[in-house]
Amino acid sequence: MSDHTVRAYDDELMEIGRKITEMGGIAETMLTHAIEALVKGDTELAQRVIATDPKLDALEREIEEKAILTIARRQPMAIDLRALVSAIRIASDIERIGDLAKNVGKRVVAMDGQFAPQKIVGGVVHISDLALERLHRVLDAYAHRDVAAALDVWEHDEEIDQLYNSLFRELLTYMMEDPRNIGFCAHLLFSTKNIERIGDHATNIAETIHYLVTGEAIVADRPRNADAYTPLTTG
Amino acid sequence: MTEKISVRNLKFFYGATLALKGISIPLYANKVTAFIGPSGCGKSTLLRVLNRMYDLYPGQRAEGEVIFDGKNILEPGQDLNLLRARVGMVFQKPTPFPMTIYENIAFGLKLYENLSKSELDGRVEDALKRAALWTEVKDKLGANGLSLSGGQQQRLCIARTVAIRPEVILFDEPCSALDPISTAKIEELIDELKHDYTIAIVTHNMQQAARVSERTAFMYLGELIEFGETSKIFTAPSDPRTQDYITGRFG
Amino acid sequence: MAMSLCLAATVIGIVWLFLILFSLVWNGVPHLSLSTFIEQTPPPGEQDGGLANAIFGTLLMTVIGVGIGAPIGILAGTYLAEYGRYEKLSPTVRFINDILLSAPSIIIGLFIYGAVVVPMKHFSALAGSLALAVIVIPVVVRTTEDMLSLVPNTLREAASALGLPRAHVVWHVSYRAARSGIITGVLLAVARIAGETAPLLFTAFSNNFWSSNLLKPMASLPATINTFINTPDTNMKQLAWTGALLITVAVLTLNIAARALSNSKHDK
Repeated sequence: MSDHTVRAYDDELMEIGRKITEMGGIAETMLTHAIEALVKGDTELAQRVIATDPKLDALEREIEEKAILTIARRQPMAIDLRALVSAIRIASDIERIGDLAKNVGKRVVAMDGQFAPQKIVGGVVHISDLALERLHRVLDAYAHRDVAAALDVWEHDEEIDQLYNSLFRELLTYMMEDPRNIGFCAHLLFSTKNIERIGDHATNIAETIHYLVTGEAIVADRPRNADAYTPLTTG
Repeated sequence: MTEKISVRNLKFFYGATLALKGISIPLYANKVTAFIGPSGCGKSTLLRVLNRMYDLYPGQRAEGEVIFDGKNILEPGQDLNLLRARVGMVFQKPTPFPMTIYENIAFGLKLYENLSKSELDGRVEDALKRAALWTEVKDKLGANGLSLSGGQQQRLCIARTVAIRPEVILFDEPCSALDPISTAKIEELIDELKHDYTIAIVTHNMQQAARVSERTAFMYLGELIEFGETSKIFTAPSDPRTQDYITGRFG
Repeated sequence: MAMSLCLAATVIGIVWLFLILFSLVWNGVPHLSLSTFIEQTPPPGEQDGGLANAIFGTLLMTVIGVGIGAPIGILAGTYLAEYGRYEKLSPTVRFINDILLSAPSIIIGLFIYGAVVVPMKHFSALAGSLALAVIVIPVVVRTTEDMLSLVPNTLREAASALGLPRAHVVWHVSYRAARSGIITGVLLAVARIAGETAPLLFTAFSNNFWSSNLLKPMASLPATINTFINTPDTNMKQLAWTGALLITVAVLTLNIAARALSNSKHDK
């Protein structure tokens, strides 16, 4: 796409795009560190994750302000309008992802010193890896305005949900096996839920990317059966 | 949805220059259709075909069909004065006639209809009310039309057009010479008028097109690039040229 | 340097103008009295007498000349500006009109002499009026066309867009917008012919007596001045000066009126 006649307009849009990328990077790191802290019982690392969150909040506010200012100043149309609205939405999703990673960190701090057998934590790591990978891919799709990649993330949301359900049952089993497990299993359960929510936000971002690029929302329900996807669109 | 006017494969020539390269577009009844595009894209030319304004000048001619209520108005032997009474036009610059506010409106009316003084008064009042100008001028109908402000003058021109009860009203950049408040008033007026008239508006102000119209046509170099629902054109146009134009990436 | 030259030239021009006005007033005013307006031109050797028949002749022939010339001029100007604006004929008409506009008035007098006086076998006020009309026409054509051309086309389009027939557009809109300009043009034409001598010499000739017969020779101020100033009679010479003053005042008034009218138009 060619540049705007007004170059400052391009600069404003690019600046907003850069901030989103920056937010995405921070959120990814937060999640990675939160999981690492969970696995290692590293309270200090968890504290660092918690301390990073305000930075994300500030960035989100900044993006929102810049986007609103650009809307007021340029009266954007079409792709530019969608880009700005999408930026606000995606920033909000990433900010929530940061909150959720922070919540995991808080769990780690709360669990302080409690025994967490690797066998049990393994499932959580698995779902985390999946969420992290999806987050990474959706941010990549945003950076490249890649609808196909975004749709791919959107279609595979089911995997995390399924994994979450099995993990939920597994943790319940541990709790029933031995009441002493209940404490940390509950913490893990909440952490898993947080990670599952991160997957949902990644899906939201994928939907936003679809709207950003095509101008149309995805209206179909997410397929329960992943390979049956047909893009039903408005219009 | 009824097509009040259907333009079919319209070609327009300024002498030997082809200014419209085969345009086909409908104007739906009681809807506002906006025409946007860079200067010289032919949008005003298209408007001037719809009331055959171009006939005032030599060397300009149109080919194709413009069907207005079932009849091709481009065919020879049209009563152009009658056509122009049915297809009114409001211009870029306000053009009040050098006469009183009352006469500005009454004078066209008197030509077409044999009205008594009280009927004429009623029609003038009605037209001024429709143009949202009545309260501002009701005490000075005898004042010269040129004594009004720019925005009021433009509404006087709209009142004048409305008074002779046209079916279609063409607006050729009606707000480009007006301040934002006057512009808002005219836009509000267009919104009101569409209940009774079919409206076409040429504008350089994209936000205005987005605000007032239901359908938008994007023209470029004498061609119709994209025509569709305004909500679609301004959020997700399908042609990259439309996108480039409305987002300010042209040239 | 250039500026001082220009200034000097301007001063010289103005000085002459004032000298002319001054000598007119100096020589014309002493003899100005009621009898100037009510008594007829005297024969040589007499005292008193006035210019009544000459004033009347000038007024009558001017009115008839404008009466004939102005409508023709306005219509032709209207053709050029409104109907025939894009016709091939128009530039030709415009060109010929410009030539006529700058034609020496004595040529026009000679033309009317040949066309009217010779067939009629005698001078007449009618011939004089016609000669004046021929002078009026190009002036009015030109001003009418210019004034109508100043009426913005958007106004014509706006009127046409209401479905008004062309004649209505011209009559109600163009004329109304150009009215003061057209009247100014007519006034200027009046001022121009009021002081014309040459075209009257071969046409209306002159007449020492009161005459309102259009088919007979008729006195006029310029022709009378022309005759009287060349006589040795002091009384007649003085009347000539008074007549010259009257014409000058009349022409000046008309010019000022025309100027005021066109200014008031621009003020709107």
